[in-house]
Parts: sequence; C-alpha cells; structure tokens
Amino acid sequence: MISKQKKIIVNSLVALAFFALLALTLVTVLKPSNGKVVARDDKWSEIKAKKSITIGLDDTFVPMGFRDSSGKIVGFDVDLAEKVFSNMGIKVNWQPIDWSMKETELNTGNIDALWNGYTKTPERAKQVAFSSTYHRAQLALVVKKSSGVHDFAEMAGKVLGVQTGSSGETALNNEPNVLKRYIAGQKAVGYDTFDKAFTDLNANRITGLLVDEDYARYYIKQQANPNDYAVLTGNFAISDDVVAFRKGDKGLQKAVNQQLAKLEKSGYLAELEKRWFGQSSQDLK
Amino acid sequence: MENVMTFLPGILSGLQMTLGVFFITIIGSIPLGILASLAMKSPYFTVRWLVNGYIWIMRGTPLLLQLIFIYYGLAMVGLPFSRFESAAFAFIINYAAYLAEIFRGGLQSVPQGQFDAAKVLGLSKTQTFFKVVLPQVIKIVVPSFGNEVVNLVKDTSLIYVIGLGDILRAGSIAAARDVTLVPYLIVGVLYLLMTAVVTIILRASEKRLNVWR
Repeated sequence: MISKQKKIIVNSLVALAFFALLALTLVTVLKPSNGKVVARDDKWSEIKAKKSITIGLDDTFVPMGFRDSSGKIVGFDVDLAEKVFSNMGIKVNWQPIDWSMKETELNTGNIDALWNGYTKTPERAKQVAFSSTYHRAQLALVVKKSSGVHDFAEMAGKVLGVQTGSSGETALNNEPNVLKRYIAGQKAVGYDTFDKAFTDLNANRITGLLVDEDYARYYIKQQANPNDYAVLTGNFAISDDVVAFRKGDKGLQKAVNQQLAKLEKSGYLAELEKRWFGQSSQDLK
Repeated sequence: MENVMTFLPGILSGLQMTLGVFFITIIGSIPLGILASLAMKSPYFTVRWLVNGYIWIMRGTPLLLQLIFIYYGLAMVGLPFSRFESAAFAFIINYAAYLAEIFRGGLQSVPQGQFDAAKVLGLSKTQTFFKVVLPQVIKIVVPSFGNEVVNLVKDTSLIYVIGLGDILRAGSIAAARDVTLVPYLIVGVLYLLMTAVVTIILRASEKRLNVWR
C-alpha cells in the first residue's frame, strides 16, 4: 500500500507541474509579438540572397497549376511564375497545399506567395497583399446542348452546380439577380472539385455548372464528345487573377509587379494565355 | 488497361508518404498507448485525471482538426514543425489514445487473483507485468488492435490538409487533370491490398499466440 502522505506529495507535484505547463503555454500563446513577427518582416532581401522562393499551389487546379502524368508541376501560372522569377535569377520551389488553408500557410511563413488562379476579393484584401492583375476570367455556365438552355434565364427551376469556396460560388451569391434567382430552390449544389461536378453534369443530375470560362474550356476538351456542351457567358463581373503575398512583403510585391508589367508589354503574357486557354484575356477590362 | 498504366506512376509516388505515416504511427503509438493505459490505473488521482483528459480530447475531436492545430496552430505560437513531423506527432498521440483504451480493456480482463499469486510467489512488479500480465493482454487485444490498424491505413489520407501528398491526393490530382474516375478506382484497389496485408499479418500472429494458450 502507498502511504497517504506519499499520495498527497505525488498528487500535488503532478498538479503543480501540470499548471506550470499550462501557464507557460498561455504566456507563449498570448505574447502579442509571436506569430505576427513573420507577417511584419519583409523577406525580400532573404529571398534574393537565397535565390529561391517557395510558392504555394493546389496541385489539382487545372489548367493553372497541376501535375502532369509524370508528376511534374505544370500549368499557366507555373509557366508565368517561373518566367518572372527566372528573370530575376530566383528558383521557384512549388509547395502543394490544401487550398482551404492557403492564407494560413502564407501568414505562418510556410510559403512566400500564392500563385494559382487566385482571384482578387475585398475579403481577401484584408488578409494578404495583391500583385497587379495578370489574367482576367469570366464566369461561364456550362450546359449540355441537349438540355435546351441557351441563356441564364432558361435555367429557371433547373439544378445548378458550383465548386464550394470558388469565385463562382461567391459571385453567384453576391450578384443574385444574374443567375441565382432562376435556379431550383435558389441554391446551388456544392462540389469540392470541378471534375466531380462534370461527372454529375454528364449523369444529368445537374443541368448547369458555373465555372471560370478557362476551366470550362479545359474540361470540355477532356470529354469524349466536346461538341455536346455549350459555354454561356452572362453578366457576371469579370474576376481578376493576382498573386498573393504577405502584407509585409513590399519588396517582393514591387519586384513581381515590375516583371509582370514587362511581360505584358513584350506580349509574352498574351502569348502564354493563348497557349493554355486558346485566347487572351488582356482586352477584358 | 494502358489508361491504368498512365496513372500508376503518379499514384505510386504517394504510396511512400502513406506507408511512412502508417509505420511511424504504429511504432510510436504502441508504447505510448501502453504507458497511458498503465497511467489510467495509477494510484494517484492527478495522473488518472490528466490521462483521462488527454484521451477525452484525442477521441473527442476529429483527427483532421488535430492535424490543423498541430501544424498551423503551433506555428502561430512560434513552434513550427515540418509537415511530416506534425503529421507523425498528430497521428501518434491520436492513435495512442485509442490504443490506451484497448490495452486498458486487456489489463482489466486479467483477474486480480493472478496479481496476488505473483506477489505470493515473490515476483517483482516489473516481473509481474512483463512475464504474467503482458503476454495475456497481447493475446486479448489483438482483434481490437487489428481494427485500429486497418482504420489507420485509411486515416492516413487525412494528411492532405497539411499539404502532404498521399495516394488519395495523387488520385485526386489525376482525376482532376483527366476528368475520369479511374484513378480513384486504382487508389481503392491499393487500399484494399494494404488492408489485406495487414489482415493476413494479424491473423497469423493471432494463430501463433493461440499456441501459447
């Protein structure tokens, strides 16, 4: 048997150790400078000295940045980012991330930039700094020609699909008069990736799919009968694709903006868009 | 068939990550689980409360949340771990909590009389635990332990949330790129193969342990 005295001593020691640890944790968490240090510093001089930068991307995001069948990361944004940084003698490390954690990855310093079809929105402006717009995209409604839908109004009472958390879902809700008021139950079905929404479109479980025109054309090209689909554009606001940086990284932001302006002037940007999307977006303003 | 061959290299590249998380969790969580199950029987109530609190948190919140807190949360308070370290840590402490409950069940099924007998025979506490109790506990917990191991094979797919590429992630990439469900089919077959191997190993060890009984 353990004596009562020993029990009391051990119990109080364990309790003391536990509360000391708890207090230490609270102090670390509540210390105001921690965690935000990363966000305030300008890491540009460090990036220039190391000659390498880490950029976050969702590697399932075709055709902006994804893996080809050999596992190599390719895409429109990948080509553009590598051109921008190779002009400055910097190597790009691509870090795949979960897209829903993108701003956290950036602000904790795991990555230095987000470059993956990232659209400018007022909510995002509060958390990150944007580059200048390098690509513009229009939302499009993809339907099967056999559905007989020729414009947004003809979606009346029909089921619409969107990608959850995409700019398409945001626009649908922010501009309800354009499309939302027509669709069944005034609510769209949410999918985590576009390919699943396309599978449902083919199975006739949804009539229309709201998606950026670039992606729409890419996915239709992958289908067995591309001529079965129609891409309808309506009155949605045009979205601006930008690069996201930490708010403190002014040097990096300025350097990327200078390179983007140069590439736009030289025609490289328009040429790259034609290669990946079949058309340039530079006159969409 | 050639379709399958084009997807295979990409998906197999994720296999290393899946197996890495699997083995490191098995190796780390078993000793921690045994320790926690013994601590639950401690004569000191503070130790019991702490361990019960730990198990409550680990079993009471989704593993996905734990991964997010350990990787992103700790980085925000100035404790940045690498992606793989965070995944290993989260899986080990989570699975140790489940294993602790399984081991506790095993310990409780050893009758008090055996402890008394060991004492009478002059066995030390360590001897009693390793020579008398543990062999019986192992035999008893193998089936429920096997359940957790099979679950672990599939749970490794949660690491996508901290940007690690396992086979399910590799499958989604291929599915998004080529707009087909074939990669998911391949991933499903791979999971079945892995759980089949685990099941066979566990069955074999159960048979061996029956010899002892």
